[in-house]
Amino acid sequence: MQKFEELNHYEIFEIPINASAFEIRHAYKEALSIYGDDSPISYSFFTEEESKEILYRVEEAFSTLIDQEKRELYNKMLVREKKIDPASLTKRRQQVPTPLFSSKTPSGAAISKTIIKKRIKDKNLKKAEEAILSKDMISGDDLKQLRKTFEVKIEDLFEVTRISVSILKAIENDDFGTLPPAVYLKNFLKTYAELFEVDPKQIVDGYIKNLNHIKGTS
Amino acid sequence: MTHIFAVGGGKGGTGKSFISANLGVMLAKQGKKVVLVDLDLGAPNLHTMMGLNNLKTGLNNFLNNSVKDLSLTAVPTKIPNLYIISSIRCSLEVGNLFYAQKQKIIRAISQLPTDYVVLDLGAGTTYNTLDFFLASHQGLSVFTPEPTSIQNTVRFIKAVYLRKLKHILKQHAFPPAVKEVGYESDDGVVRSPLDIVDSVMRRDPARAELLQKELKKLRFKLILNQYRKHMDETLGNKIEKVCNRHFYSQFQFMGNIAYNERVYDSIIARKIFVAKYPYTSTATDFKNLANEMTENNVQAPALKETNAKV
Repeated sequence: MQKFEELNHYEIFEIPINASAFEIRHAYKEALSIYGDDSPISYSFFTEEESKEILYRVEEAFSTLIDQEKRELYNKMLVREKKIDPASLTKRRQQVPTPLFSSKTPSGAAISKTIIKKRIKDKNLKKAEEAILSKDMISGDDLKQLRKTFEVKIEDLFEVTRISVSILKAIENDDFGTLPPAVYLKNFLKTYAELFEVDPKQIVDGYIKNLNHIKGTS
Repeated sequence: MTHIFAVGGGKGGTGKSFISANLGVMLAKQGKKVVLVDLDLGAPNLHTMMGLNNLKTGLNNFLNNSVKDLSLTAVPTKIPNLYIISSIRCSLEVGNLFYAQKQKIIRAISQLPTDYVVLDLGAGTTYNTLDFFLASHQGLSVFTPEPTSIQNTVRFIKAVYLRKLKHILKQHAFPPAVKEVGYESDDGVVRSPLDIVDSVMRRDPARAELLQKELKKLRFKLILNQYRKHMDETLGNKIEKVCNRHFYSQFQFMGNIAYNERVYDSIIARKIFVAKYPYTSTATDFKNLANEMTENNVQAPALKETNAKV
């Protein structure tokens, strides 16, 4: 059992050395309810001088710990006098908030638009572009190949274009049953093409032509 | 061997007898044999709380040697398994008990053929009261939330602590110079037992550890009676905290006993409260208290570690 006068500020409040400001305030309030002027406990336990002395120490401890600058100085003093372990000063790791939904980024962290756009720009694969533009009819598979050469995942494509994954999949699979009405489809194809910096008009025309061809043959 | 609870606390009117009686009933309801002993020799009225009158035998028969065995003076109450040894028929001067008689009572109580003994002690801090308290295995200190009551309870705790300290100094044959510290006072001002312990430790550092160990065996249980809803419910915990911080002994707050208007009614009607009003929160508090007291009893490693002198 240590004497009250030998306790350091943290021991007076019975809080850890890396306690937060909230914990300090709480402990101070608690200490006042025990050692404060109008507490029946302090009144019963201690003489007038003792309770004054204790209350003075409580106030001193609080005013030091709640002031960031004073607290740092005080901590340094404690470390210098080897009263505390410097390792205990390190702040506790802040808790990282847990995301509510992870469905929008199925394969880990979301890649930002700029990163994808930059990646596409850097690749600058003229060959792949020329290959697709040379075709008269453009199938979904051609678009898929184009995407693959740029190493862009379908989920990342959604992040940038905000065209839903199911529609993107329908486009790439020529799944005309699930494809949206032509107006929307054309718009989506345009966005798709613009992202990969190929002529949107040629892509839209080629894709529709191919689609009509499939419909005609089936 | 019987297990002894002492119910004390400095202030009068805090409900020591009320708690003794109702705790006794709850212990008996656990199916254990319980004997209540009224050791408030100067002002005995435990039997009234139990709704008994005209008792034929009591502590007086044991003290005047007309009965050799204390257990024969116990009278059954209206509750099965619960007996009472009253001191209502003792002489009017029995409050100033002789040392030898006190020792005789303590010895006889520890040999009672029963599971539990509940000692109802008087207010104040006379040697008789302190020694009966120290003779128990678990000492309960009852207080109410008023500053007057808290003050007297703290004084009672300090008095018990000092008495225990003196017992230790005597038993372990500390040198006379050290023993003196226990008795000296600064210009007639009463010194705090905390200071006395400190100065004993300074004078005899080699045995400071022994003293500490012996004082640690002293266990106090705190009970807050007449707890009212709007007040700070952690008051008892705070007192427990301060006690554990400044004394070497062990303190445990056992909980609040709720204030209830019907307690007054039951005392006026001379009926046992928990039997008359079993479905009140106050009665539930008693049930929990009894459970906690006996669970602790089982958990306690051995009777060695208790207040009783071995």
